[in-house]
Amino acid sequence: MSGGRLSRWFDRKGWTALLIGAPYLWLVLFFLLPFLIVVAMSVATKTPTAPPFSFGGEHPVVNLDAYGRVLTDGLYLRAFLTSITNALVAMILCLLIGYPMALGLTRVSKGWRNILLMLVILPFWTSFLLRVYAWMGMMGRNSWFNGLLTDSWNFLVPLDWAVRSVPMMHTNFAVVLVMVYTYLPFMILPLYASLERLDPVLDEAAMDLGSRPWQVFRDVTLPQSIPGIVAGGMLVFIPAAGELVIPSLVGNASSPMIGRLISDEFSSARDWPMASAVAVVLLVLMVVPTMLYSHFQAKSEGSK
Amino acid sequence: MVSAEEPFLRIEGVSKSFGTFQAVKDVTLTVGKGEIFSLLGGSGCGKTTLLRMLAGFEEPTAGRIFLDGRDLAGVPPWDRPIHMMFQSYAIFPHMTVEANVAYGLKHEHGMDKAARAERVAAMLDLVQLTDFAKRKSHQISGGQRQRVALARALARQPKLLLLDEPLAALDKKLREHTQFELMSIQQRTGVTFIVVTHDQEEAMTLSDRIAVMDRGEVKQVGSPTDIYEYPVSRFVAGFIGSVNAFEATVLGHDGPHLRLEVPALGGAVLARDPLGVVVGQKIGLAVRPEKIRISKDRPEGVNVVAGQVKDLAYFGKDSLYRIAMPGGALVQAHAVNSSRGDEGVGVADWDDAVWLSFDPSAAIVLVD
Amino acid sequence: MNRRPVFLITVLCFGFAFFYIPILSMIVYSFNASRLATVWGGFSTRWYVSLLSNDQVINALVLSLKIAFVSASVATILGTMAGITLARFTKFRGRMVFSGLVTAPLVMPEVITGISSLIFFIILADWIGWPGQRGFTTITLAHITFSMVFVTIIVQSRMLQMDRTIEEAAMDLGSRPWQVMKDITLPVISPAIVSGWLLAFTISLDDVVITSFTTGPGSTTLPLLIWSKVKLGVTPDINALATLMVVTVGIGVVAAGIILNRAERRRLIEERMAHERDG
Repeated sequence: MSGGRLSRWFDRKGWTALLIGAPYLWLVLFFLLPFLIVVAMSVATKTPTAPPFSFGGEHPVVNLDAYGRVLTDGLYLRAFLTSITNALVAMILCLLIGYPMALGLTRVSKGWRNILLMLVILPFWTSFLLRVYAWMGMMGRNSWFNGLLTDSWNFLVPLDWAVRSVPMMHTNFAVVLVMVYTYLPFMILPLYASLERLDPVLDEAAMDLGSRPWQVFRDVTLPQSIPGIVAGGMLVFIPAAGELVIPSLVGNASSPMIGRLISDEFSSARDWPMASAVAVVLLVLMVVPTMLYSHFQAKSEGSK
Repeated sequence: MVSAEEPFLRIEGVSKSFGTFQAVKDVTLTVGKGEIFSLLGGSGCGKTTLLRMLAGFEEPTAGRIFLDGRDLAGVPPWDRPIHMMFQSYAIFPHMTVEANVAYGLKHEHGMDKAARAERVAAMLDLVQLTDFAKRKSHQISGGQRQRVALARALARQPKLLLLDEPLAALDKKLREHTQFELMSIQQRTGVTFIVVTHDQEEAMTLSDRIAVMDRGEVKQVGSPTDIYEYPVSRFVAGFIGSVNAFEATVLGHDGPHLRLEVPALGGAVLARDPLGVVVGQKIGLAVRPEKIRISKDRPEGVNVVAGQVKDLAYFGKDSLYRIAMPGGALVQAHAVNSSRGDEGVGVADWDDAVWLSFDPSAAIVLVD
Repeated sequence: MNRRPVFLITVLCFGFAFFYIPILSMIVYSFNASRLATVWGGFSTRWYVSLLSNDQVINALVLSLKIAFVSASVATILGTMAGITLARFTKFRGRMVFSGLVTAPLVMPEVITGISSLIFFIILADWIGWPGQRGFTTITLAHITFSMVFVTIIVQSRMLQMDRTIEEAAMDLGSRPWQVMKDITLPVISPAIVSGWLLAFTISLDDVVITSFTTGPGSTTLPLLIWSKVKLGVTPDINALATLMVVTVGIGVVAAGIILNRAERRRLIEERMAHERDG
């Protein structure tokens, strides 16, 4: 009765093995393995062969040249600095704009709230590329928006400072602006989720005990929304720091961000070990704050 | 200076509407200093809205509120010397017990650090939570949360403490214990308490005086005994405790009593004279079940009617009888089981013919 | 206290203006007769006409839809399995590694995912001769990998909210664990599975970075086509294409919102009626 035994095996253990095994295997094969290859690649040696690398042979098995260059070559350091600054500034701006918006969403009537929430999510479903493109249309030298900005600038400042158009495209400012634009929903949604859970009676209790509205915000609302702030901050900071599309469309080519650099090293310079080393360093920079965050979160949940 | 006649809290013709809905209608009340005063009523009777107007979360549509001679109109919640114990207790979840209690003192600018710490310690001691000072709200029990809320509200030494359903979130056993604790804390601190509750027993045991509310109006104000023994309306009589209510017509005066025709009881009965009723007036008659005596033999005296036991429920210390009247009405009567159980279930059994009697002073005339 | 939060409402208004003015501007300029994309030259629908007769665009769209459909479907199956696993099996060997593998693609910058996939495919082709040419297959494989983790998260959170006693009831009535999964668990979490599929579909349809690394000659998806055109600057036909895409997605999202809202409202009404019948 091997059929019977097989079906008994399936009832007991087989179905769980299949359920766990299939996605596990897939991720190991198509995610973990490629990633380990990149880590290995970062210590390989660049060769003029195809594929353009080699381990061992006449070269050292573990070649740390690429890491040496990442840490000493000004180009890479500047790129890391630009990426992190841009991502931080975008994250802070998203927080400053997104927090009052999320708080506002919790204060409007239920009917309006659903409509407005849909309006926050709607751009998120439309193409990312096209949202970047929409700002290219707004920032260009001849666009109505740039014209508006130019006119108001010229109106406000002395004649000597007048400009023909505001230089927006291909600047770091443009990169930050478009990042804020595309990532703002990532900040608003977790903030809204954590603010919406708060009990309005707690606000009343604080008021009853003598707090003015801004003190209620500082003492009750803000501290309780910290998980939302952290989650929103991570969701903006991580993709912003590794961003490739936005800087290559609206950024300044002479101060590239790290994503652009990795892509260029790989495709144009065909220096795979270098591209891999930069990627590994970027990942370490990303992973450290993520680990701190999940550690912090696990600790705060453990105390509950 | 407050004149001798000026009451501590005066609510004067206060109304509150939300759109077309009138939550509170022309309420006038006074509360004395150091009193425990209850607002009693079912859900939607306006008691919570009245409480929120005292706290300052709602502004009255009409009328005024004076506390200690000061008009509270336009005073925001944070500037009122009135604190509230919320129904859900509203403990700040991100702060420790100690920080919760200390929170209100942050706004007392004249107070130095040591004085604050001392006050917090005194409050924690008052509610016996000294050992739990460093815990957070999710690490303490429901009863402890209630005491944190109380200590937090009392820490700033309010002139008036508002308690919104203070015991509703606690289980039955804890509720009885906490009731007495609340009363003892009130006595020790001397703060005036205003309690909102839907539980008449809670209101009866806690309060010096009770205001019974219905559909935004105050129906009656008085001591627990007044409200129970001398209800003025069918609503109050029915809301507080259980009651047998009948329709009746005034026949005339009979010495100190009133003679009434009560068709449901099949004849005339004598009742307490509330003064001011006229012959021929249609009124209500209420008799509490525990004021009705049951006997197998016809007793002497007035207000005696015959009936038959339809239903009986044995509770141990007493039994509840439902007795059918010749007029068809069912009358409820409580009888204390003073004899031992093995000598028979009680006074009477199912389908027994019995006699009911009650004193004229126990028969309450309800004009409204 | 009914104080109007004036400041918050003002920020909301500015926020939504910030969200929608660039999109509206793009839509308006798609009807611009002028070849110069940013100078108004009168109303015209010529860019829409030229767009619809452009084979390149149509082919790219078809390829994108094919990849999105296949990758979303496979990702939904794998992601649902992973979500159930993480929500139900709290103890099995390698759970730590598994949950790490599920969250890692979410925090991994796309450039790195793209490069690692490409290197992997090149080395694989070097060793075993497959995949011979990059294109549909490699793009789809990469898309499945990074979109399945989104499905996993949606399914996992739905599973954690689910009332487990109904599963126990089914087991009590004689179902084997896998039958409980099939008859009870999957139907109950099916809305989460559907939204997981939709999310995977749109993520695939929208992806530029990972696609640009895993594509090969001749396989141009719509985002790649737009990307290559946009790099050269703002052009009126992209405005028209963008408008069509934004309007399609907008109608879809709004319609889905209305349908869900109605279903929710009807459920509430039915619940209330059932309650009234009770008491």
